[in-house]
Amino acid sequence: MIFFIRRLVVLVATLLIVSFVVFLIPYITPGDPARKIIRARVNDPNLDDAAVERFRVMYGLDQPILKQYAEWLSNALRGDLGLSYTSQVPVGELISGGLAVTATLAITSLLLALVLALPLGALAAVKRGKAGDTVITMITQAFVAIPEYWLAPILILVFALKLGVLPSAGWQSPLSMVLPCLTLALRPFSYFTQVTRASMVTVLDSPHMMAARARGLSFPATMVRHGIRNSLLPVVTLVSVWLGGLLGGSVVVEVIFGIPGMGRLLYEAVVNGDIPVIQAAIVCIVALTIVITTLTDVLYTTINPTVRTANVSA
Amino acid sequence: MSLLDDPESAALNSTAKAVPAGGSPSQRGWTNLRTWPISLRVGVALLITILVILILTPWIAPYDPAAQDLANRLSPSGDGHPLGTDQLGRDVLSRLMWGGRFSVSIAAITLAICAVSGTLIGIICARRRGALDEFVMRVTDILLSFPEMIVALFLVAILGANYVTLVIALVIGGWTPFARLARGLALEIEPRDFIEAARALGCSKAYIMLRHVLPNALGPLLAHAALRFGHKLITVGALSFLGLGVQPPNSDWGSMLADGQPYMVRAPGLVIYPGLAIFITALSVTLIGRGLGLRRDRQA
Repeated sequence: MIFFIRRLVVLVATLLIVSFVVFLIPYITPGDPARKIIRARVNDPNLDDAAVERFRVMYGLDQPILKQYAEWLSNALRGDLGLSYTSQVPVGELISGGLAVTATLAITSLLLALVLALPLGALAAVKRGKAGDTVITMITQAFVAIPEYWLAPILILVFALKLGVLPSAGWQSPLSMVLPCLTLALRPFSYFTQVTRASMVTVLDSPHMMAARARGLSFPATMVRHGIRNSLLPVVTLVSVWLGGLLGGSVVVEVIFGIPGMGRLLYEAVVNGDIPVIQAAIVCIVALTIVITTLTDVLYTTINPTVRTANVSA
Repeated sequence: MSLLDDPESAALNSTAKAVPAGGSPSQRGWTNLRTWPISLRVGVALLITILVILILTPWIAPYDPAAQDLANRLSPSGDGHPLGTDQLGRDVLSRLMWGGRFSVSIAAITLAICAVSGTLIGIICARRRGALDEFVMRVTDILLSFPEMIVALFLVAILGANYVTLVIALVIGGWTPFARLARGLALEIEPRDFIEAARALGCSKAYIMLRHVLPNALGPLLAHAALRFGHKLITVGALSFLGLGVQPPNSDWGSMLADGQPYMVRAPGLVIYPGLAIFITALSVTLIGRGLGLRRDRQA
C-alpha cells in the first residue's frame, strides 16, 4: 500500500513540477511575458501599450508568480489553455484532435509490432542456436539501427512514388496508415522479438515445462498452455513502456507523413513559437506518459508481488 | 591467496558480472582475437574504418563540401563524383564525410557526458544510500519516462535550435540508465571482501570508489555505452532532420537527409547515402555492445 501511495505522490509532484516549468515558458523566452500571455487570450499580436496595461491587470499578470501559476493551472485543469497564436483556435480543441490521431497511430503500430514479434520470438527461442534463431536475432538487431527518418522516405519512394500503390502522406484513409505504422512499428517489433525470445528461452528451460511434457502433453500444447503465457509478462511491460514512448516519439514519423497528430502539432508550434500550443502539448504528452508508466508499475506489482518487496528495499 | 595483497584477483574469483581490471587473465585475453565473438570483430572493424575516414576527411575528401557546381546538379554517381552531386551540385561523398564528423562527434560528446555523470552519480548513490539515493532514484524514474524528443522540443522552444541545445536535451534524460546500472554494479561490488580490505587499510571513500568500485564496474558500463551510442546517433540525426540540430551552413547526416528528400525521385542517393551512413555506424557500435556482452557471458 505504501508503495502505491508513494508512486501516486511522485506522480502528482512530477506533474506539478513539469506544469510549472511549462508555465514559465513565456517568462524565460525573450520578449515581454505579459504580451505573450495576453496574445494567447485576445489573439491580437499588435496591441498598443495602454491595452497591454489594461489586460495586464485584468489577467492578474501584476500578481506574484506563484499566484499567476495557480490561476494558470486551474484554467488548464478546466481545459482552458488559451488560443493558438497561428490558427486562433482554442488550444484544447487542437490537442484533443491531435491526441486521437497519435493514439490511433501508436496503438496500431504497437499491435502490429506485437502480432509479428510474438510468434517470431517464440520461434527463435524454440530453434535456439539453429539457423532460424541466428537469422531472426541478426535481423532484429540490425533493425534497431535503422533510423525511421531514413526508412520512411525510402518506403514513400518505393510504394508511393515508384509503385503508386499507397499514398505518400495524409491520414484520411486506412491505406494512408500503412506506411507510417510500418515505420513506427519497426523498432518496437525488434525489441519485442528479442524480449519474447529471451523470456521464452527462460521459460522453456524451467521445470514446469518439463513436467508438462512428462505428463504427456504434446509440444504445441505445452507451448500454448505453459510456454507463451508465462513468457508474456516482460513483453507486456515493454509494450506499455513503448506506448508511453510512442506518444512523444512519433514526432518524426508524423512530420514526414504529414499526419495531424500531437507530435507534428508540438513540432510546428516550436517552429512557429506558438507558446500556448507548446505548453499544452508538452503537459499533455508528459502527463500521459507518466500516468501510463505509473499504471504499468502498479499493475505489474499487483500481478507479481515479488517486485513489490524488491522495490521497497531499493 | 591473501586478499590484502591483491584485491583485484578477489574480484576475478567471484561470479559477479563485473570485469576485473588490471593484468588479470581475462584482461590479457583481449589481445587474442580468437576469443572475440564475431559480432565484436565485425563491429570493431566497421567502427575503426568509419572513424579513420572521418578523422582523415580534411585530407582525403575529394571536394570542398560547400563548393557548388550549379551546372552539374543532382548528377548520378560517376563523372568524378563517386556518389553524385546534390541539389546545388555539391559532391555528396565529401559532404557525407564532413557531415559525419558532426553527427558522430555530437553523439560521442553527448554519450561521454551521460556516461561519466551517470556513472559517478550511480556510484555515489550506492555508497551513500539513504535519502539522497532514494531521491536520485525517483528522479531517474521520472526522467526515464520523459520522451527524449519532447524534452528536446521544449528546450529548442526556450534556447533556440543549435547543437548545444541538442546535447543538453539528450543529456537531461541520458545519464539515468548509466546511473542505475552503475548503482546496481556498485551495490554488487560493495559487500565484497576486497572493498572491506581496502577500508581496513585506511583507504578513503573517494579512493575506494575510483580505484576499486569503478574499475570493476567498467566492463558492463562500456558495453552499455556501446549499445546507447547507436541510439544517440539516431536521435541526433532525428533532431537535425527536423531542422532543430546542426544549423546551416553546417550539415550532418540528418540534415543532409532532410535536404535531399524533395529531390529523392531524381536522385534517391541524396536520401539513401546519409541514412546508410547512420545505419552502418549505429550498427557497428551495436555489434560491439552485443559482442562485449556475449564475451562476458562466455567467460562467466
